[in-house]
Amino acid sequence: MHTSVLLATSFAFHFDVDLFLKFIFQPSPALIGGLAITIYASVVSQILGVVIGIFSALAGMARNRILRTISGFYVWFFRGTPLLVQMFIIYFGTPYLFGIDLFPNDVHLGFLSLRGSVLAGIVALSINEGAYMSEIVRAGILSVEPGQTEAAKSLGMTYGLTMRRIVLPQALRVIIPPLGNEFNNMLKTTSLMAVISVTEMFRVAQGVYAVTFKPFEVFLGVAVYYLALTTIWTLIQGMIERRLGASTTRSEAVPGLRARLLGLSSPRGGVGGVGR
Amino acid sequence: MVEISHDILAAVGGIPRPASDVVVETTDVEKWFGKTQVLNGISLTVKRAEVVVMIGASGSGKTTFIRCINHLEKIQGGRIQVNGHLIGYREINGKLVEDREQNIARQRQDIGMVFQRFNLFPHMTALGNIVEAPIRVRGVTEKEATGIGRALLERVGLGHKADAYPAQLSGGQQQRVAIARALAMRPALMLFDEPTSALDPEMIGEVLEVMKELAREGMTMIVVSHEMGFAREVADRVVMLDEGKIIEDDTPEHFFTAPSHERTKAFLSKIL
Repeated sequence: MHTSVLLATSFAFHFDVDLFLKFIFQPSPALIGGLAITIYASVVSQILGVVIGIFSALAGMARNRILRTISGFYVWFFRGTPLLVQMFIIYFGTPYLFGIDLFPNDVHLGFLSLRGSVLAGIVALSINEGAYMSEIVRAGILSVEPGQTEAAKSLGMTYGLTMRRIVLPQALRVIIPPLGNEFNNMLKTTSLMAVISVTEMFRVAQGVYAVTFKPFEVFLGVAVYYLALTTIWTLIQGMIERRLGASTTRSEAVPGLRARLLGLSSPRGGVGGVGR
Repeated sequence: MVEISHDILAAVGGIPRPASDVVVETTDVEKWFGKTQVLNGISLTVKRAEVVVMIGASGSGKTTFIRCINHLEKIQGGRIQVNGHLIGYREINGKLVEDREQNIARQRQDIGMVFQRFNLFPHMTALGNIVEAPIRVRGVTEKEATGIGRALLERVGLGHKADAYPAQLSGGQQQRVAIARALAMRPALMLFDEPTSALDPEMIGEVLEVMKELAREGMTMIVVSHEMGFAREVADRVVMLDEGKIIEDDTPEHFFTAPSHERTKAFLSKIL
C-alpha cells in the first residue's frame, strides 16, 4: 500500500501551473498569429463551403444528368475519404494535376499575399465542407413545399429568381442550425492544417511543446482556446437562430445556452448534425 | 363582413385587352402520368371575359388540366394556346418541342393562378407577396408596385393587413392576398384551382365574393370548383370532366336542370 503510492507519485509529472497560465493569459505573438489564422481560415472555408454546397445541391437536383453525376461523385469522394488525406493530396498534388504548383511558399492573390500552405489548407477545408453542406442545403431545399415553387413559377419567375427569392430564403430555416454545427466543427478541424505546416493555433502549441517538453500544460492550454472559440460561436449561433425564429412566425423554442453547450436538448429539425 | 370594392381591376389600371376574342384554345390535349392517361383529348375554347367553371369527380383530370394551361404540367399530345401563343412548346417542323425555360416564364406572366392551398410566400408580408413579381419579373419600380399592391389589398378588403405575414392571416384572408398577388401581374386570364376547398365554411363567402366581382369586371376565368352556387350565379359555361374527357359543356341553366349525360346526372345528384 505504502510502496504503491510512493511508486505512483514518483512517476507522476509535476503540473507547471505557471506555464499553463502564462500560455493562456500571456499569449505569445505566435499564438495570437495562430489564433488569427484559425479564425480566418475557419470563416473563409465555411463561407466557401456554403457557396460550393449550394451549387452542388442545385446541381444534384438538376434535371441534367451530367450535373447530377458530377455532384454525386463530388459528395461521394469528399465525404468518403479522410480530410487529412485530402489535405495532403491537395497540397502536394497540384503539380501532378495541373503541371504547376498552385501552392508555393508565397501566393499573391491581387492585393493580398499569403503562404501557399494556408491557401492549400483553406482550399481543402472548403471543398471538404462543401460536400457536407451540399447535403444540408439539399435537405433544406427539399423541406420547402413544392407549392412555393409552383406559385413562383405561376407568377412568371425564372428558376434562378425562384431559388434566390423564394426557395433558398425558406430553406435557410432548416439549413441554419446544422450550419452552426458545421462551423463549430470547422473551428476545430482547422487544426488539421498543422500537418501541412500551417502555423495555426495547434501548430504553434506543438512548437511551444517542442521547446518546453510540457505537453499537458500546452495542449490543455490550447484546448482552452478552442473551447473559448466554440463557446463564443455557440452564443452567436443562438442569437442568429433567435432572430431567425422571430422573423418567421412558426415558433419553435430555441434551446438556451446551457442546453446548447451541454447538449441537453435534442437538436431541431433532425436534418443536420453531420458528425465526423 | 368583408368589404369588397367594385372596381378591383382599376387598382392595376384595368386588364389588358387581348388582340383576339379567344383567350384560351386547347385542342385534343393528352396527358399521361406514367401509364395512366389523365387527360384524354380535351378541346376547350374560352372567350374574353368568359367564366368557365370545371367540375368533375376527383381524379377526373380537372386540376391537371388547368395546371397544363400555364405549363405547370407537361402535355403529351394536342396543343394549348393562350392569346394565340402556343404554351410551353415550340413548333419545329410540325413537331412540338418543349420551349426554353425563360420563354415559358414569360408566358406565365400573363396567366394568373390561384391555388387550393394559397401558396403565399411565408417569409414575406402580404404586401411583399404582391409586389415581388411585378418588381422582379415585370421590372416595375418599387414605388409603383407598392402603390398598386396597397390599392389591391384595399379593394379585396385587406388594406389594414399589408404588413401582416401569411401565418398571421386567416385562410380566407390568405386566399384574397393570393388573388391580389396574381392580379398584380395584370394577367389576361385567371386560373382558379379549387380556391375554396381548403377553407373553413365561414370563409368561403369572402373569397367567392372577390371572384364574383372579378367576373363582373370582365376577367377571363377558368375555375375548378365544387361551389355549385358560384357556378350557377357567375359561370357562363359549366364543363364536366369525366375520366379525362369533357362530357358536358353547357350554360349553367341547362347544365343544372337538364344535363344530357348520365354521369353528370349521377354526379349532380351526389353533390346537390
